[in-house]
Amino acid sequence: MSGGLNIYVLVKQVPDTGSKAGLNPDGTIDRAKAKRMLNPFDRFALQAALHAKRSYGGKVTAISMGPPPAVEILLECLEHGVDEAYLLSDRRLAASDTLATAYALHKVLNYIGKPDLIFCGLQTTDGDTAQVGPQIAERLGLPQVTYCEDFHMEDGKVHARRIIEGGYQKVVAETPLLITVANSYHPLEYKSFRGAWRVRRLARDQDELKKFIHTIDLDLVSADPERTGLKGSPTIVAATEKVGELGGSCKMHEGQSAHELVADVLKASDLNQFLVGSSK
Amino acid sequence: MSEQPDVSAFCPKGDVLVIAEQILGDLQPVTLELLGAGRLLADKMERNLKCLVLGYNLGDMPQKLIEAGADEVFVADDKELFSYRTLPYRRVVVDFLDSLPEPPHTCLLGSTTTGRDLAPRISAHFETGLTADCTELDIGPYEHKNKVDPSKIGLYPNCLYAIRPSFGESLKARILGPWKNPQMATTRPGVMTPNKHEAGRKGKITAIPVKLIPEDHRLIVADTVREISKGIKLTEADVIIGGGYGLGSADGFDLLRQLADTFENSAIGASRKVVDLGWIPYQHQVGQTGKTVRPKLYIACGISGAIQHRVGMSKSGMIIAINKDPDSPIFKFAHHGIVGDIYQIVPEMIKQFKEIQSGKGVEAVVGSH
Ligand SMILES: Cc1cc2nc3c(=O)[nH]c(=O)nc-3n(C[C@H](O)[C@H](O)[C@H](O)COP(=O)(O)OP(=O)(O)OC[C@H]3O[C@@H](n4cnc5c(N)ncnc54)[C@H](O)[C@@H]3O)c2cc1C
Ligand SMILES: Cc1cc2nc3c(=O)[nH]c(=O)nc-3n(C[C@H](O)[C@H](O)[C@H](O)COP(=O)(O)OP(=O)(O)OC[C@H]3O[C@@H](n4cnc5c(N)ncnc54)[C@H](O)[C@@H]3O)c2cc1C
Repeated sequence: MSGGLNIYVLVKQVPDTGSKAGLNPDGTIDRAKAKRMLNPFDRFALQAALHAKRSYGGKVTAISMGPPPAVEILLECLEHGVDEAYLLSDRRLAASDTLATAYALHKVLNYIGKPDLIFCGLQTTDGDTAQVGPQIAERLGLPQVTYCEDFHMEDGKVHARRIIEGGYQKVVAETPLLITVANSYHPLEYKSFRGAWRVRRLARDQDELKKFIHTIDLDLVSADPERTGLKGSPTIVAATEKVGELGGSCKMHEGQSAHELVADVLKASDLNQFLVGSSK
Repeated sequence: MSEQPDVSAFCPKGDVLVIAEQILGDLQPVTLELLGAGRLLADKMERNLKCLVLGYNLGDMPQKLIEAGADEVFVADDKELFSYRTLPYRRVVVDFLDSLPEPPHTCLLGSTTTGRDLAPRISAHFETGLTADCTELDIGPYEHKNKVDPSKIGLYPNCLYAIRPSFGESLKARILGPWKNPQMATTRPGVMTPNKHEAGRKGKITAIPVKLIPEDHRLIVADTVREISKGIKLTEADVIIGGGYGLGSADGFDLLRQLADTFENSAIGASRKVVDLGWIPYQHQVGQTGKTVRPKLYIACGISGAIQHRVGMSKSGMIIAINKDPDSPIFKFAHHGIVGDIYQIVPEMIKQFKEIQSGKGVEAVVGSH
């Protein structure tokens, strides 16, 4: 693969919000019981990374930080065509905020090697801060394109379109570059039959699997444990309060036909006051 | 509780700093909201409210910021700062903060595509805490008892309480980080209340230096497209018919226009997704990166109700949602919900509304079979 791009995609395992399993009565998540999934926003980042590889050549490496079960999402990445994966798993990482998370992940990136392109999701569905990507870019001293909706490369430079208030911006950036991919980017393609087959075969042989998914810890990547976890986190979640469902007062209309449904709305609301000719 | 560790070292003075946001010289409303929120925090701690604005040919913008509540405005005015770019803006903010005798207590930015791009870079550079997308801010005490890191134990009198919705808005989390200043937060646009405008309010305006290095130009802006302010008067309509991806194609808007025609003073709104697809121009976009509207009636047709759309229309008087998916998030905040296909429901609406207009009373229309 010499000469090709060194492409990284950062993926996080999050609780499956679609399933009610593992939700504590107070609305917080019981991480031990909750079903888990690949952060939905990271699917766009994965698609972008694979697109870059297919279009410009190179290698895609997926990186995740999390407890051992996060290996599931790395397998999923391999199925989609990622070449290799790293899982940073270490008890000392527990309770890391975004700053500590970005510190640890940038250490992994430094350890593995010289990136050309680093793709992150826009945000996660659990922490939901959208901060980790830019914080990694800061640590690595790289330029960044956040809210990226589309990109291509020309003469080694990345031409990207990013969302801004009221429109969009077109930028041209040098590599190495960190990109956070918006959910208006192309959706993740279905995994290929070959990819899925390869992974199924790999998963049968743990030794073989270890050649593709490396589980690593803080010491290996020379990360200072004092700068991760609770100690390395300047913020804490001091309290949470349940606020109940949004509004929660939507009247769902019923009827056998479109006619009945619309009639029911007309009966229950006074929207006819807004019709042409009905005012004054 | 008799012996309190001395935490004054952790809670130095320091003011409240707002980093203003403008796009191509257009001051963003979130800045006025930040000055509103910042004023309350500063007053509570008896500190000053400062504001940093970056851009080019800013004219009277610094004075406007003072009239909106800032005590002192720092201005970085340079050609290179005309369009927002991460690295040049980051450089100026970092140099500015480094030049202060002591860091601000609190530093606030908007939770916009710009604020969320810049704030994490600043926080990572200074290794200070940053809370995302807050909907409430306050100042109050906090006692840290967790023994994992003994150096943090203690009672902190003036902490920034950064409060943000989480887990699909079902929880509110209070995030704190009093150990290091500036305590940073971004706030959700449209939530905080601006101060009353005070024409002629006096304050100090200080120009600050802009010193970029070649590395800051590793990214250039080729084009900035902003069309949102042109054309139709979306914000003044009494009734907005919003169309989303559920329409299936641009032609779907023809049907929505027919529906809109049955209403007095109506307009067409849209989700960003369909605007991006080119089904309808930008001026129609409602939401975080589009317009914030507050019509008397909003009919959402094939719109899922993503948070970025919701923030632009949730304050409508009445929201009616038509969506074929009963689990769609839009039904969590609409007032009336119809589970069904737009192409069956909307023609029926047009038909019944026209019957009402043609003189039949509502009772006659809805009662007939
Ligand atoms: C309710 C709640 C509120 C929180 N609020 C804050 C807050 O305001 N400030 C704060 O500093 N921390 C906060 N945290 C902690 C924060 O969620 C964690 O630090 C988390 O490790 C990363 O943040 P995120 O999930 O928001 O990621 P984001 O910044 O939203 O993630 C963006 C992208 O970064 C990459 N990424 C993120 N995490 C990982 C990972 N573990 N492995 C690989 N790639 C990753 C992915 O590509 C992802 O799409 C909060 C946590 C909770 C539970
Ligand atoms: C930084 C940023 C800023 C953004 N700003 C905005 C913004 O300002 N405004 C905005 O709108 N979005 C914004 N977005 C995008 C937002 O996240 C959503 O992707 C977008 O709002 C989704 O649009 P939609 O509801 O039309 O499409 P979808 O989410 O795809 O929803 C389509 C809906 O139509 C329903 N449907 C399908 N067919 C039918 C049918 N025949 N009849 C009835 N219902 C049907 C489906 O059930 C579905 O609920 C932003 C995103 C980012 C990242």
